[in-house]
Amino acid sequence: MADLAVREGAPRALSRRGQRPRPTGHAGTRPWLPYALLALPAAVYGTFIVAPLLSTVRVSFYEWNGLSPPRWVGLDNYRELLGDAGFWQALLHNGVFLAFYTVIPVALAFLLVVLLTQERAVRGLSVYRVGLFVPQVVPMVVVGVVWRWMYSPVNGVVNALLGLVGVEPQPWLGQASTALPAVGVVATWVQYGFAMVLFLAGVQRIDRDLFDAAAVDGAGPWARFRHVTLPGLRGEIVVALTVSMIAALRVFDLVFVMTRGGPANATDVVAFEIWQRAFQLRQVGDAAAVATVLVVLILALSRLVLRLQPSDA
Amino acid sequence: MVGTRVRTGARDLLRAPAPLRSVIALLLLALLVAGCLPASDDGAGEGAAEEDGATEAAADDATEEATDTGGEGETLVVWDQWARGVEGDVVDQLNAEFEEEHGVTIQRETKTLDDLNATIGLAMGQPDGPDVAQVNQGRSDMGALVEAGLLMDLTQVAEERGWTERFSENLLNRNMFSEDGSQFGTGNLYGVAPQAEIVGWYYNKDAFDELGLEVPTTFEELEALLADIAAAGETPITFGNLDAWPAIHTYGAVQHTLVDTDYLNDFVFGLGDADFAIPENVEAAETIQRWVEAGYFTDNFEGIGYDDSWAQFAAGEGVLMLTGSWISGELDAEQFGFFLTPGASPDEVVPQIGGQGVPLAIRADTEHPELAIEYVDWMVSERAAQLWAEAGLLPSGTPPEGTVQEGTLLAEVVDAWTTTLDNDAVGHYLDWATPTFYDELTAELQQLLSLSVEPQEFVDRLQADVEAARSGG
Repeated sequence: MADLAVREGAPRALSRRGQRPRPTGHAGTRPWLPYALLALPAAVYGTFIVAPLLSTVRVSFYEWNGLSPPRWVGLDNYRELLGDAGFWQALLHNGVFLAFYTVIPVALAFLLVVLLTQERAVRGLSVYRVGLFVPQVVPMVVVGVVWRWMYSPVNGVVNALLGLVGVEPQPWLGQASTALPAVGVVATWVQYGFAMVLFLAGVQRIDRDLFDAAAVDGAGPWARFRHVTLPGLRGEIVVALTVSMIAALRVFDLVFVMTRGGPANATDVVAFEIWQRAFQLRQVGDAAAVATVLVVLILALSRLVLRLQPSDA
Repeated sequence: MVGTRVRTGARDLLRAPAPLRSVIALLLLALLVAGCLPASDDGAGEGAAEEDGATEAAADDATEEATDTGGEGETLVVWDQWARGVEGDVVDQLNAEFEEEHGVTIQRETKTLDDLNATIGLAMGQPDGPDVAQVNQGRSDMGALVEAGLLMDLTQVAEERGWTERFSENLLNRNMFSEDGSQFGTGNLYGVAPQAEIVGWYYNKDAFDELGLEVPTTFEELEALLADIAAAGETPITFGNLDAWPAIHTYGAVQHTLVDTDYLNDFVFGLGDADFAIPENVEAAETIQRWVEAGYFTDNFEGIGYDDSWAQFAAGEGVLMLTGSWISGELDAEQFGFFLTPGASPDEVVPQIGGQGVPLAIRADTEHPELAIEYVDWMVSERAAQLWAEAGLLPSGTPPEGTVQEGTLLAEVVDAWTTTLDNDAVGHYLDWATPTFYDELTAELQQLLSLSVEPQEFVDRLQADVEAARSGG
């Protein structure tokens, strides 16, 4: 009887010792209540998210410059997209961003969580939580502008610091070979805090008793990590992966502010292609096609990742 | 058990068919809504075309009654991109004087050029959009608006207001399109600009004195000058290409010395199918690469933004800067000078990149056509030219005698401009050639400057892009 309330927040990984959470409330007496409460959010969602999305899909079947009457072209925009090397290259760059947005921050967050939570509770937790989360709070545009200054070969902080260890000043954002990783580093800087905070919270929820039990059973640190920490954090991992993966595929403001897709398209990403087609080249139908493809891709990949989510026991 | 049943229902909501039905219902609803959203602009386009004729007639009537300049108490909505400090002040002043003289209010909205380009298309089609706005030259911006019938034809107005006398054909043609927007450089006039632009070489007079240098009169002398500066350990050309477009001016300035204005007009306006793959363009690319290899440009220029680089130059770093007249107001008038890119011989005035600044255009179905025309005329008047000149910026018109002081930076810029005009040597921004050329040219130039592509290949790839764009339409 210890735990009646359903826990909220990140998807529940491990239920406590076999006890099933039971919801309270009188929902059974008014079955229409959930739908009534959902009506307003559904309407807002429908108007501002679903309707524009469907409108975009519709526009993707036309050739339109945003001003003159559109012309029906069916699947032509999609066919052109398949053969457009620029688009595939942009998608490749998004793939690279996946490493910087998802893989590296999650791995780093894990590392730190493992180090900090050997068997004891984490000390100074609030400091970490706030400090590491700050990059998430700063608007992306501001992050981009400031890091652009920091990368400047003339008086930027990055080159100044690297100069202390004897590295020559480099035009990090101006060279095709270093531009993408340079922007990626900024993405990691932003995204790391998110995974970190998520995992710290998740680890806190894991029952101390489980660690003790494992130790008693003779499990070493690595085994404890594999069999207690990792499964315990499964829900958090899925959330971290999903959110950061979407961010990696959607990235626009960072690239726009720092490099405008350059130099020589080295940092071109799918979202930037959409902007370029819609606003620079005035090919709104093409832009809509790229946007639709991106949405489908993100939905498909998210679904895949969410399958890893642990089901309620 | 009530509790269990409800809990089962809640779990279903997280998984299977029942919520899927709701989602489908939602999507259908949204589809209905989306179906009602117009994706076409038929009504607006045709309506605007009809009104265009009507507004022209109204404009003619208005200008015949010379003294009646539109009602008192009217509000004119103006969008512009004069955001940089000095320019902004000039426009505020001009607006204030106009408001006082005509008893009207000007509602001014300023955006950066990028934002303006992105939003002007949508805005011009709205009934409460701007009456007057700066519209970027070129097919994708002004051309697209002309095609949609959203801009007022100013050909008649230009004759009546004397613009055709003040500005040569070669200047006005950049704002001309055929009525359907398909031909660039001929046809009707859709805009006129208060500012002129010319790309040339700013030089630091103090540095010149120190190093004992003189303004070069031939291209050979210019290259010798660059070598001398480099040998003395100074940075010859302050340059920053992180924003990608400055390279267009660097390359273009050199390229212009090798071609003539006929070729440039043909190429940029897409007339006569002029090719990009000509030996002169290859030679220009070779020269630029030679300069990069010789270290004439700022170190690590690939990573320096444009605003950072001219700020550096203004602070005294580097001896020369090859850029446009638009920053002349920000540089010290005594410390800096300006000269044109020289040709093969001292008397030759080769084409120079330049033209009019971003022009003002009038919305076709504006409710204040007479007032809008008055405003545009005011912005290119002698008084406006005076204020621009006093702020150190190059006006497209001629400022009154004595406004421009001898020996100052602006005097040299105005001199350069007048010389170019008189010799009919105003060139072009190469990126105007096709809607995709800006992206392609900037990308290829970044590769050229990083020495990762050969000049011939550079030219060939751009030629392929131009052909693709022209055939694709």
